[in-house]
Amino acid sequence: MTKLIYLGCLSLKNYEPTCKNAIKIIKFLDNEYKVLDDAPCCGSLAFNISSDEELKTHIQYVNNWFRANDITELVTICAGCYSYLTKYYKELLGTDFNVEIKHLLQFITEPRNLEKLDLQYSGKKLSINYHDACHLRNASKPIIEEPRIILKSIKNVNFNEMGYNKTNSICCGAGGGVYSIFKGNSDFNAKAIFDNMKKGKILLTACPFCYTALKRIKEENNIKKSIIKFEDFIANLMEGVDPIN
Amino acid sequence: MNDKGKELYDVIKGKINSMKEEDSLERQYWNFWKLGCFLKTKAHDLKNVYEDTSREFVDKYKEQLIKMREQVLENLDYYVEKCINVMRKANNFKVHYAKTNKEAHHIFMEELGDNKVVYKSKSNEAKDIGIIDFLKKNDIIIKETDLGDVLVQLFDYKLPSFQVGPGAHFSIDDIVAKIKEMHGVELEPKPSAIVDYYRKTYRKELLNNVKVSLTSANAISAEDGTIVLGENEGNISLLTRATEKHIVVCGIQKIVPTVLDAVLVAKIQSRINNVPFNYINLISGPSSTSDIRGINVLGMYGAKEVVIILVDEWRTKAIKENLFYKDYLKCISCRTCNFVCTAARAFGNIFASKYGWGATAILTDYIHNGIEAAVQDGLFFCTNCENCYHWCPVSINIGEIMKSIKKEAKKAGLCPPPLKEYQQKILKDKNPFK
Repeated sequence: MTKLIYLGCLSLKNYEPTCKNAIKIIKFLDNEYKVLDDAPCCGSLAFNISSDEELKTHIQYVNNWFRANDITELVTICAGCYSYLTKYYKELLGTDFNVEIKHLLQFITEPRNLEKLDLQYSGKKLSINYHDACHLRNASKPIIEEPRIILKSIKNVNFNEMGYNKTNSICCGAGGGVYSIFKGNSDFNAKAIFDNMKKGKILLTACPFCYTALKRIKEENNIKKSIIKFEDFIANLMEGVDPIN
Repeated sequence: MNDKGKELYDVIKGKINSMKEEDSLERQYWNFWKLGCFLKTKAHDLKNVYEDTSREFVDKYKEQLIKMREQVLENLDYYVEKCINVMRKANNFKVHYAKTNKEAHHIFMEELGDNKVVYKSKSNEAKDIGIIDFLKKNDIIIKETDLGDVLVQLFDYKLPSFQVGPGAHFSIDDIVAKIKEMHGVELEPKPSAIVDYYRKTYRKELLNNVKVSLTSANAISAEDGTIVLGENEGNISLLTRATEKHIVVCGIQKIVPTVLDAVLVAKIQSRINNVPFNYINLISGPSSTSDIRGINVLGMYGAKEVVIILVDEWRTKAIKENLFYKDYLKCISCRTCNFVCTAARAFGNIFASKYGWGATAILTDYIHNGIEAAVQDGLFFCTNCENCYHWCPVSINIGEIMKSIKKEAKKAGLCPPPLKEYQQKILKDKNPFK
């Protein structure tokens, strides 16, 4: 019985420090979790254009890899992986798929974990916004309240709702592989997300796809607001490091 | 990607470039729309004059509406037959059942007889069924009456525009200038002056000259054959009364079980769009009187004849063959999916087809004209964010439907290269970034 930390291919490729932070958080909460080399991609970027046969072949490969490594539960930090593992794997493999899937946000929200983390911000009161990523809010088991529970539990942090939030949040425009073809979709929508922050200058996201689009738009438009990945924010708080620096 | 795919990809890139040009029509439309959609979306959460917001209103009836639409689609043959029978027997309607769009076109031409002019309401259904294109090809003069469409016609605007407010992207100054250019009349640059101009000139024509009018229907009640038509301008009221022959063209999916269901559909459309339906017309027959010795005579002040053309085309097939887009038949055409669409916000009217604007118009193009048409309309702009699904009053997952069309595009060699490369790497190397 192995508990897996499933980082996701986008974070592994582009966001190594975030992966390290995520591992730090997960292992602090449950040291039995571990990272395995060569974990296959869940296939999220292929889902919109692949036939059922192609998908099933890929999903079976991933499932066999899980079985070969005796994976019974996993925590992922990728919103895309969470969405596809919980929806399509169960749908296409049925009872053959026996891995308990959790997103990091769900894992942190478990009462004992939240208690163990006992997060607080030591600086001047911090005003935080959270962007609801499509992959999380649309999942078969949607993740909507979890980030709010976590953020509201942090001492000295003020959580603000965005103008469009939860199931009505603005999509960053990077989903469905669109970012690889027509970046213009994000040019407008990711900027609209920043414009949609009512209070405070810090925006958190738990999706590496959203982060990629939001970071680019912030830099290209010289936006003075910060975009921070949820894992980095939590890991910095754990270590008493100011997450906005 | 095959040669056709490359050609379509180039067309799309060309459209994007047009949108980037400051003075292009695409850019002008987008500048209007990107603000319009956010304001419109926000309006769903505002309590205007009602005690509830439009979203609360829709939520209150959502379950009932979904159940009703599903009931109709599960028993479509039954409701179509019931509806046609009652319309013929009780309502004195002349009813045609057209198996195909083509059949509907010919029926319409026959009903038109020697008339060469058709006055029409917005009638997106007639556009979907291809009647408008067919009439134009046959040199029939189409006279729009919805002010938005009148303006589109005035400007000879060929690009897709928003179905709910087709002329809303024209500036007041441009409208006034165009009226001066086309009609030689100088107006004050005020919406009220423009409206007043059309009221004084066009209203007279609508009251006196209309021989044949064309509308669609928001819904049709199967229990009593009543046609329900909502409007805010009053053009439909005139077209359905001050005419000799009123022709209704719509798909069979517009049928609902009862007249109350039909009114509910109209109310939902009104509230969800924050567009007041100042008039909801319930038409259960041609104008008639029995005031002379109790003898019923048709055609007193209103339409002498009401003709209904119900069109099947793809609809029954979609249900019987369980096609992936059959859920689209639940659509009540409120178009709210357009306001919240990520791709539509980013790409304005280049995420559109000749049937209109947004994902549902692309789906309609796919159904009628196939996969290449859908790709050219901007199919791959869709991020599958499912905002459309969350806002849809009948919970149609257009995002999932678009996904199925994308799969077909990939199979046909029409998938944009970067996306295909990711897929190949995932399937082969088990990692898209290796």
